Amino acid sequence: MENALREKARELLTSGEVQVVIGYGWNRRKTRTTPVFITRSEDADRLVFNPLCVNNLSIYLTRKYKDIQALGRPAIVAKGCDIKNIVVLISESQVKREGVYIIGATCNGVVYKQELWAGELNPGIMPTKCHNCDVRNPHVTDFVVGDKTDFTPPEEPTGMVFDRIRELDKKTPSERWGFWIEEFSRCIKCYACRQACSLCYCERCITEKNMPQWVETSAHPRGNLSWNLIRAMHLAGRCTFCGECERSCPVNIPLNLVNQKLVLTVKDAFSYRSGYDEKEHPPMIVYSPEDKENFIK
Amino acid sequence: MTDKLLKRENLDKLIGSVTVGGGVFVAPGMEARRVVFREVTRADEMTHDYIIPVNSYKDWVFPQTEVIARFAIKKDGVDLKGEKIEPPETVVFGARPCEAASLASLRSVFTWDFIDEFYTRREDRLTVLTVACTAADDECFCTTVELSPESTVGSDVYLKETADGDYLASAITDKGTAFMEKYSTLFEGASAEAKPKELFIPEKIDGIDLDRIKKWLDNKDHYDDPLWAELSRKCFGCGACTFSCPTCHCFDITDEGTTYEGEKRKNWDACQFEHFTLHASGHNPRDAQFKRWRNRFMCKFNIYPKKFTSTGCVGCGRCIRVCPVRHDITEVMEAISGR
Repeated sequence: MENALREKARELLTSGEVQVVIGYGWNRRKTRTTPVFITRSEDADRLVFNPLCVNNLSIYLTRKYKDIQALGRPAIVAKGCDIKNIVVLISESQVKREGVYIIGATCNGVVYKQELWAGELNPGIMPTKCHNCDVRNPHVTDFVVGDKTDFTPPEEPTGMVFDRIRELDKKTPSERWGFWIEEFSRCIKCYACRQACSLCYCERCITEKNMPQWVETSAHPRGNLSWNLIRAMHLAGRCTFCGECERSCPVNIPLNLVNQKLVLTVKDAFSYRSGYDEKEHPPMIVYSPEDKENFIK
Repeated sequence: MTDKLLKRENLDKLIGSVTVGGGVFVAPGMEARRVVFREVTRADEMTHDYIIPVNSYKDWVFPQTEVIARFAIKKDGVDLKGEKIEPPETVVFGARPCEAASLASLRSVFTWDFIDEFYTRREDRLTVLTVACTAADDECFCTTVELSPESTVGSDVYLKETADGDYLASAITDKGTAFMEKYSTLFEGASAEAKPKELFIPEKIDGIDLDRIKKWLDNKDHYDDPLWAELSRKCFGCGACTFSCPTCHCFDITDEGTTYEGEKRKNWDACQFEHFTLHASGHNPRDAQFKRWRNRFMCKFNIYPKKFTSTGCVGCGRCIRVCPVRHDITEVMEAISGR
């Protein structure tokens, strides 16, 4: 698979079809993968693909990264889950379909965090998204590397995130509130959640608008609550549950619970799943006469 | 100075003795599946199996958010009152020798051309009890930045674990001596049998030369070297590294409250944030992420060593462990050393 990946990268760079291949490479000790930007065909051998390739590299396609855009047309190595984000970026007119060459990587799952890797992939170290993945054979691509997989996701979604959402749903609103206040209390306002998210592409985030300061930037309970709620709302109907915000959170706030709850709510209210069809628009930015009105009381 | 023995079973009493009078005892403990420095009131809230906590204990001398003044706008003017702080006695137990060295770095900047009492008053009340390392992970690089598990700089009391899980304690500073005297009933005479466990000294990274790095950075032509973009283009600009770094010290002042009254807060800030250097005009001198990362590196390996005698980087490895894109500062150190 890696040979095919490198071969394709070399070909794309040599032909001039793309000027940069955004992919994964090893760190110095070859213990962790890290994003790499290959601009010379002779460096294509640095590209790797394995279960440690957790990062969703689609962030580098967004307008925040003017220095990467300046390199030229990009090719990107993307798992199915990462492609979902590219699909949303296309549907929101952030990326042109023809503006990026998508090298889809067939995937058998990745680790939840790279630190968990002990040489073998097993379900216990995979995130919930992998257990229920319906895009292990990537769905929107220009080229695919890796052998087709015949994995079919379970009919009823499984995994820790779903279990915990069910537990939380059983609680009273005040118990749930207490749970989240405590979880958010650890927030240190490092904004890793936002920076890791390719759908948080605003060049000026609302938290940076300080005349007046709309969101309190202090890492106190009120400021933390405002930030986390605002971010959740801005991702409703758009989030693809890639899990990068939770993975990046240095204080382990279970953001995947927020994200998956939003996914379920949007699916229920609008029969919409983000990240599958680049011609469809997220429900929060379109009006349809069929939209439910049962929330108006 | 002869070593004294602090028995593991006496930790509970030590914590109790510090906290009973309103003191704060900070030690490594589990929280949300991570080992972190946090305030404890009992020994069983502590953990002893850790390399280094994910957060820095700088939070207790330089809190992530604190009120520094309160304001009220009245008809006849603005009423602005500075906040006076009277910090409690604070004890950090289980610091690592690398991080202990960082307090001098924070002090350098907070007493540089202005005495920041919000910092100094807290640090004056802080006693650091360091436990020397008997293990390390791939990210530890203290020996590469001229420190080691044997360094006592910045520690008030330096402890070595014994095979029984007790601690051989030696006072390093006057503050440390005073601390051991104050709680002298818990620091017993050590018998000859109490032998410390062997310390684990991480291997120095061969290709790294701090002097060469500093000299290379000194040459202004290198400021625009393509190396910066090549090595740090992947940085996505969160503040996880700076917020977990024991020497990063930048802060922002913000007003909170209503139009007529509120508070001025001093909050952690990060040079990795895009708006850190954004001018009111809209111009940003560090307009790409790799330039912001270059600043972080320059600060630690050029600006700090030139301005202060303290170190800008203590090799704790937190920034590497916490980085969502695994940007490894030692890889940049190595690349620059090879120039």
